[in-house]
Amino acid sequence: MNGSSELVGRVREALREVIDPEIGFNIVDIGLVYDIALEEGGIVKVTMTTTTRGCPATDFLKDGAGEAAHNVEGVQSADIRLTYDPPWTPDMMSSAAKQYLGIR
Amino acid sequence: MIGASLSRWTMSYFSVALLSLLGAEALMVSGFGFPSRPITAPQTLVLVHLTVIGWLSLLMSGALIQFVPVLVAKPLAHPDLPAVALALLLIGLAGLIAGFLDIPGISSTSMPWLPFGAMVLSAGFVLNLWNLGRTLWSARPMGLPARFVVAGLVSLAGVVALGIVFSLTLARWTTSEVLTTLTAHGVALHAALGLGGWLGFTAMGVSYRLLAMFMLAPEEKRWTSRIALGAGTASIVVLLVGGPACLLFGLKLDHVLVVALLMASICVVLYGHDVVRLYRTRKRRHMELNTRMAAVALGGLGIAALLLLALAALGDVARYIGAVVFLVAFGWLSGLGLAKLYKIVAFLTWLQCYGPLIGKRATPRVQDLADEPRAMPWFWLYFASVGAASVAAFLDTPLVFRIAALGMLVATAGICAELVRIRTLKSVPTPMLPEGVQARPRLILPSLER
Repeated sequence: MNGSSELVGRVREALREVIDPEIGFNIVDIGLVYDIALEEGGIVKVTMTTTTRGCPATDFLKDGAGEAAHNVEGVQSADIRLTYDPPWTPDMMSSAAKQYLGIR
Repeated sequence: MIGASLSRWTMSYFSVALLSLLGAEALMVSGFGFPSRPITAPQTLVLVHLTVIGWLSLLMSGALIQFVPVLVAKPLAHPDLPAVALALLLIGLAGLIAGFLDIPGISSTSMPWLPFGAMVLSAGFVLNLWNLGRTLWSARPMGLPARFVVAGLVSLAGVVALGIVFSLTLARWTTSEVLTTLTAHGVALHAALGLGGWLGFTAMGVSYRLLAMFMLAPEEKRWTSRIALGAGTASIVVLLVGGPACLLFGLKLDHVLVVALLMASICVVLYGHDVVRLYRTRKRRHMELNTRMAAVALGGLGIAALLLLALAALGDVARYIGAVVFLVAFGWLSGLGLAKLYKIVAFLTWLQCYGPLIGKRATPRVQDLADEPRAMPWFWLYFASVGAASVAAFLDTPLVFRIAALGMLVATAGICAELVRIRTLKSVPTPMLPEGVQARPRLILPSLER
């Protein structure tokens, strides 16, 4: 594993500390984090979504993800981008999240 | 802005709404108004308007200023206008109630309370209509739930207009023959547009979205939903346009009401079908208390719709309409409202207390703010009491109705206590409590800092 993929991995782990308040599970396993990319100068670009477009928690989740990513050692700044393309569906959850919610 | 912001005044609307519900239930326990008094008695008018405006309309308005931005993914056009609207609605409601009590035989004062109350009340509703209307307008083309809300708001405009006409006529501020005819025969239109169009249809639209959100059910574009929207909207248009037109041309209102009822029935059947489908296709297998109780409330709507159709077929609507309206207002709308409040209050409280802490420290889940086993008995007591009160209203046994209303009052007080526990984070384990200024959110008024 090279340095950049290792840093991306640590950012992913840090984002697991951020939970979606309604579902009660972390945003990575729910499938809200679409992409994590490392750019020059230690800038991490996170592309994410929310379970519902217009969710009142959107700004909090975005800021929280930015905070969690920024706190990772080696990250100079975090750029969080929201997208609804594609829209989130429960099928995007990891098996751990599905098991937590009882989804077969 | 992709997300919707947190509405600062929603909790104030909810608090006043719950106080109105407790007040209305206390009046029913004391034998004030229907069924102890006739359906047209001033006391019944007080009870009806306290319930429909003080409780249900404030509940719906508070929910809409938070959830219309969610439905359309746009911020509210004027975030602080709801505070002015709430003040006007409360003053107007107080004036209206004073006006009803001023009807000869109860008490008499020289103050024209009825038109004063109606106008101030209308001003409050108009402000919210303007605010919500502008927000919805900025988000065209709208999705299906938002279109239900638009039709509900149009219906509200009709209810308000009729209310002003009634108050001006009853206060003898106008002697116009047209307006006098409308007042003498238009009460059914006012009630149907208010309970069915404004409160019922809007509740349907909001619940399509909320149930799908909370149960992780797929929001598919289905023909049943589109026809439900079309039939319900047609019913509202028939009442809004056909009703006054019939009266003005000297025709009987019955045909308009029957057509509107048939269209509304189609809407209710298809809506029921869609909601059952949402429950069946939900990804979240465990149902939270709010979704279980919402299902019970939906059962109340089904029973009320069947009863109304049966009574219409038997030509006996007038005799039992009070009981049917009671079941719609307290079994369906209030039951659904209390169930969803239990979830929405927890959600808003979580956002207020823990939203700023996301990413900084571990946070509890929304569900951790509520204690469902504690709250569940109150909900069951509420629905059982509403069932008993409905039967008592049908059988015209006021004393039994009052005893059942006592059950409703106790249950509502219990649910309110649970909501206060949520707001004060009583169920959150100590290590998970937030620290600092947001540790204890205000119960009713918003924090002034943004």
